[in-house]
Amino acid sequence: MIEPKTAIVKEILKNRMYQLLVNQKYKEKKFKIPIHLALGHETIATSVSNIMSKNDSLILSHRNIAYNLARLGSLKPILDEYFLEKNGLMKGKLGSMNLINPNYGVIYSSSILGNSFSVAAGIALSYQMTGSDGITIVLGGDGSIEEGSFHESMLMLKSLNLSALVIIENNEWSMSTRIDERRHPINLQKFCEAYDVKYTKLEGNNPFTYIEILKNLKESSLKTKSPICIEVMVTTLGDWTMETPEFPNGKFINYHAGPTPSVDVTQGLSPLRKTNEDPIYALEQIFEKAELDQIKNEIKLECSEEL
Amino acid sequence: MKYIEFVNNLIKQEVIKHDNLVLFGQNINAGSCLGGLTRGLKVKENSKIINSTNSENSLCGLGFGLLMGGTHSVFFMKQLDFLLLGIDHLVNTFNIIRNMDYFKSKASFTIMPIIVDNGYQGPQSSLNNFSDFCSIARVSGYTITNKSDAEKIISSELIKPGFRIICVSQRLFQEELLIPEKLEYVNKENTVFQYSVGQDATIVCFNLSFPYGFELSKRLKNKGASCSLFTINSPVEYDWSKIIDDLKITKKLVIFEDSKSVNTNVPAFLSDSLASCKLDKKIIIKRKIDESWLNPISDALEINYDEIVSQLL
Repeated sequence: MIEPKTAIVKEILKNRMYQLLVNQKYKEKKFKIPIHLALGHETIATSVSNIMSKNDSLILSHRNIAYNLARLGSLKPILDEYFLEKNGLMKGKLGSMNLINPNYGVIYSSSILGNSFSVAAGIALSYQMTGSDGITIVLGGDGSIEEGSFHESMLMLKSLNLSALVIIENNEWSMSTRIDERRHPINLQKFCEAYDVKYTKLEGNNPFTYIEILKNLKESSLKTKSPICIEVMVTTLGDWTMETPEFPNGKFINYHAGPTPSVDVTQGLSPLRKTNEDPIYALEQIFEKAELDQIKNEIKLECSEEL
Repeated sequence: MKYIEFVNNLIKQEVIKHDNLVLFGQNINAGSCLGGLTRGLKVKENSKIINSTNSENSLCGLGFGLLMGGTHSVFFMKQLDFLLLGIDHLVNTFNIIRNMDYFKSKASFTIMPIIVDNGYQGPQSSLNNFSDFCSIARVSGYTITNKSDAEKIISSELIKPGFRIICVSQRLFQEELLIPEKLEYVNKENTVFQYSVGQDATIVCFNLSFPYGFELSKRLKNKGASCSLFTINSPVEYDWSKIIDDLKITKKLVIFEDSKSVNTNVPAFLSDSLASCKLDKKIIIKRKIDESWLNPISDALEINYDEIVSQLL
């Protein structure tokens, strides 16, 4: 069931606050495991979570924190998992990159690029076999569409008449390399056309638009028994400049993993970037300021112990 | 009856019993049906047979996804080296499944490749290193070499919760099925089989080398001698106490190993055997890896049975 708008906004802001808290502990060197933060991915994660029904499956990548937080709605079990404690979300057996939460539909998270698409096809086929009304939603990044398994799996999903939402988060970076520094551009829309797979692009971080579109695409995929590919433009926030002997004036470092030194929890829920690339800035453009401030205060209060 | 007909019949008998089962692979119900391995398969109404796309990596992922979704599946594969493309899933995806209780009993996934061990293939398409696939992530694996192990392994292991690989030998496809007179012993994991008990030698066959051991046992019998004949049907088997107990009586060991891998469990078996008993005779027949080993030549081991018999008696 789709939640009221204020609840959706609160989820996005909570998602950001929880990640800020994780980043803070990361900076304090409290984790032994690698964590890939997803600052800037809060809107798409919350939107996907909002369209999920009880029987749906979510298949994630190593950058799964925003989605796991969106599905669970709380930080502590995930934080305990990151601390590898027995009372962690998965009893400390999975850590971050492979974190799942089957009770909330997160069936599989893979840290191997492209690995999860075919697993998603298998889950979708299992749904078809058992007559489930659920849909399989699989996430990948722009780097993962370079893998052969992405192409193999799209063909497989289409050939087997399987319902699935294949969501490609395009942040235009693969680790420390911009796409245009590494490869020829891939026209995902044309690729989808070749396989007769419907393609939709999302950008702008408006959660209400995202949810509406995703809800319709989900219904369409279930009805037509065909996968749908959704390319969503995201900016993974948290970049910084690093001074090195080679770059005395500082070298741009796009955020990939680990703690980001440029983001501090004391900044609170202010936008990290003053464009729609930042979900919080985007919310400020579409939501009443007084109400937004009230929600931010509620979250600060709720997180006061952690803060 | 030919080996392949027998194995095909066993598969047919097994798959028809199960609900919510997907059988998939390239050409599994078209053309030669993988040389007869999958000919005439029938499944229940709530199950499915899929002639799949040519995408081995993703087909491995598909099987693991089916398992996660609670649907049983068997992926039939034309040759073992195709599985090289799926190793990521054998390691990374399987590691998640077996680390989570949630998935452990959800469903069955079996990959059933044909090991192309008849030779004459050339540098490619002749990989028979089953042990490498199993050891890379400690995957349960089984080889099928005769009537007894085929019956046990297919009825017990083909469809049961979890993941495993079961291999058949292309070299044996058109050979008459080898039928041991008795099955003296099989462990509960279906990885160690004993077909005869004797006093004059202990014969242990690894990988797909049972036909050689079987032939030697017949020749010994013709000479009035008796032997204990074993197969170790899994490359990740480490409990050979039953065989070592036998060796303590015969004190004469013959090993057959036909894999091209350096990664077999023969050294571990030998080490354990020699630590437990003093042998009067030790004969190891394994593949010679010389400069011609990648040429399109026969994959059969060259064995002088008369010489082995004379050494043993």
